[in-house]
Amino acid sequence: MSTCSHKWSMVNIRSGYLVVEGCRHCKARSSFFSTETVLPVDDYQDGEHYWTYLSSFQAVKFDLACDACGEVVNLDDMMGLMLSTCRNPDCEVARLATQGGRRTWVYVAFCADSTHATGKCVSAAGIQALTEYFNGNIKDPGKKVIVAPCIKCKSIDTCAGIVIADTGLTEIY
Amino acid sequence: MRVSELAEKTGLTSLNEHNDKQVEGVYISDMVSDIITGAKANGILVTLQTHKSLIAAANLVDVAAIVFVRGKKPADDVVELANKTGIGLFVTDMDTWSFATKLNEIGVK
Repeated sequence: MSTCSHKWSMVNIRSGYLVVEGCRHCKARSSFFSTETVLPVDDYQDGEHYWTYLSSFQAVKFDLACDACGEVVNLDDMMGLMLSTCRNPDCEVARLATQGGRRTWVYVAFCADSTHATGKCVSAAGIQALTEYFNGNIKDPGKKVIVAPCIKCKSIDTCAGIVIADTGLTEIY
Repeated sequence: MRVSELAEKTGLTSLNEHNDKQVEGVYISDMVSDIITGAKANGILVTLQTHKSLIAAANLVDVAAIVFVRGKKPADDVVELANKTGIGLFVTDMDTWSFATKLNEIGVK
């Protein structure tokens, strides 16, 4: 375990498109980041899934690196962030916001697989680094950001929030 | 320079109650994904965007105030969210270039 009091900076910032696909068979959603100028939009089968293109929007991906010890946290498994406005008492994300108080803001970090069939989500190291990075840059005393992995949402499809995404005019299809 | 002083010197119209923070820089962007990688805490964000996701992004990086150029005004629910965050919302009829020039003239960079 690192003893460094990390001072995170964004590194490997790259621009591209977040492509969202849906399975016609099981209704699962999947997403991937593409730096291609022409995005793949063809349907295809992958195991039991029949993926169909749903949407795409401009996005930016980045990693975090510690200025002090040089550790780099890869965030390839994070597809986006959402400010949670969920008030469902059965949702762990909503409970985090309630426990944190009025000046605590919970942001959900989305992974690529909405089903979480494999049990995987954004890595714990990634969540911790994101939380430390955003809080480390806040200058407003009393304000706090909690980053939570989307696997903590009661249901990604119904969890209320504001996705930080460039939808609409920046969509290329 | 505080947000209120900047607003007065550049002729901005305020859209909400907000924290009067010390301004520490400026960022211009119309993409929310770009804002979270480029805007800084206590900075002024200049944009044409009025979508609610703009507030979600600006709040994450602790932006002090947002200036909507070309007279763009956000919807009530956007202002309501900004009120909860303490982010100041302002509007100007100037375009982005003219407003950026004005900021430069008063020493905000």
